[in-house]
Amino acid sequence: MSSNQMSRMDFGLSRPSRQHYLAYLLLAPAVILIALLIAYPMLLSFDLSFQDVGISKLGDPRKPFTLLNYRKLLTSTEFWQACWVTLRLVVIVTACCMVLGLATALLVNNSFRGRPIARFAVALPWAIPEIVAVVIFSRLFDSSFGMVNWALVRLGVVTEPINWFSDPGAAFVVVCVVMVWKGYPFVSIMALAGLQAIPEELYQAGKVDGAKAWQRLVYITLPMLMPVFGVILVLVVLWIFRDFSIVYLLTGGGPIRATQTLSVLTYQQAFSFFKMGYASAIGIVTLIFCVLLSRFLIGRSARGMY
Amino acid sequence: MRRQTYASVLLYVSVVLTCAILLFPVYWLVVTALSEPARLHELPPQFWVAAPRWEVFDRVMAQRPVLLWLGNSAQAALGAVALSMAVSVFAAYSLSRFTVRGGQSLGLFVLTAKMLPATLLVIPLFGIFRAVGFIGDLRSVILAHATLIIPFSTWMLKGYFDTIPRELDQAAMVDGCSPFGALFRIVLPVATPGLAATALYGFVLSWSDYAYARTFLTSAQNAWTANLGLTTMQGEYITDWNEVAAVALIVALPVVVVYLFLERYLVGGLTAGAEK
Repeated sequence: MSSNQMSRMDFGLSRPSRQHYLAYLLLAPAVILIALLIAYPMLLSFDLSFQDVGISKLGDPRKPFTLLNYRKLLTSTEFWQACWVTLRLVVIVTACCMVLGLATALLVNNSFRGRPIARFAVALPWAIPEIVAVVIFSRLFDSSFGMVNWALVRLGVVTEPINWFSDPGAAFVVVCVVMVWKGYPFVSIMALAGLQAIPEELYQAGKVDGAKAWQRLVYITLPMLMPVFGVILVLVVLWIFRDFSIVYLLTGGGPIRATQTLSVLTYQQAFSFFKMGYASAIGIVTLIFCVLLSRFLIGRSARGMY
Repeated sequence: MRRQTYASVLLYVSVVLTCAILLFPVYWLVVTALSEPARLHELPPQFWVAAPRWEVFDRVMAQRPVLLWLGNSAQAALGAVALSMAVSVFAAYSLSRFTVRGGQSLGLFVLTAKMLPATLLVIPLFGIFRAVGFIGDLRSVILAHATLIIPFSTWMLKGYFDTIPRELDQAAMVDGCSPFGALFRIVLPVATPGLAATALYGFVLSWSDYAYARTFLTSAQNAWTANLGLTTMQGEYITDWNEVAAVALIVALPVVVVYLFLERYLVGGLTAGAEK
């Protein structure tokens, strides 16, 4: 398209007086798409959560308003157990991801030969699809011929091989391991980005004043990373909260619901038991948890994000 | 001097060790795919494949429609990335260059969109797509993936556009460029790294999706994406590890290659989005 055609096409929108029309025009496609595919569905599922429906069909007459789903949810043990599983998963996996992510970022932020390769390697699991990670770790944690059991027995940590997928506690550990492996690279990438934004002068000044390496880490690097950390923390927590495929494919929420998170419970109620009203109610409550949690986490420290 | 040598040796050792431990699972996938079937069922495990059996790839290609799955995944990912880039480039430009009412709450909006559990969104989307006949059709996942990508990509691109001085496109407009001309000829060429990072992010997101594909496409085998196809190979009792691992490698390969080419843009692109 030549610039001539373009200027004819913009209907005088480049004139300063009409520029805010242009601004809205540019935003329109995004807004329309989001309204149709996020806002409208959200309203639908909010509405569904107050109806006693099985398989929802668009255009069906609306069922009468009821609080049944929410009442059922608050009195069911499966819901509270899913909350507890999700909470433990969020705390453990977030802590591990943050520590491992920061450690790897600090490591590859040093200057050495082959640094690009190390960086690529450290962040690689981020690009591996979750389902592939599930395949890898179900092989590694295979009860009879898995590498992990073999190594544990060999090292004398355990005497008997562990039944990773039929023991509730062990299955939870496997889920945690897979999620940490998939989750830490994101922290690493973001932390690395934050590290590179720290001005070199600060370190030089620190060196001049005689700060040792660990002092530079504690008094310069970590405080300077804090704003980025707030953002990373929220994104990681939300990811764990909402992630579905890892748990669903790895354990299906079992054994005896030991790894059934809120996301898995929602999906199973909707598409295994076809209780879409009830599932929507669980999903809405999950969403409320996410909102409260991230408000709490962001606090005032990371307002810069907005 | 000596201390420095010590330090650099220590650094190398820790880098190599870290990478070895973190990437061991990937290596193990390769070993599993190429091992002799019998060796997968004996201990101690074999750490090195002396005689790799490459024919496993031919076998899975012949037995399963792997190429079809890959094609479907590629269509879904490219479609979702194209759609979301087309939409979010304009939105981000608008938010970066003009003061739009409510534009300040973009960050908040992105965060809210990140909070929506896919498992919740998938329920009404299933109803909507069924009503318009998109179930079992790749258009359903393209649209669903685009909704995942658009909020975040708009946010990333806005951050990136903000780092490009306004004077650049203002100068172009003074010289007679239309706002679109300024965007396409001045801003976008400068923003290439940001565009690359954003596209990479979208591609990885779409390629890795399982929840949407499972819900919308399970009924139509011809529309299965690579991820969905792979999950059907893991039996409850018997799993042919050679074949599963081989297909897993094939599924992971495209996204790793894309990542290889675009990784250097990622840190820069994410920084622009994350800080300010």
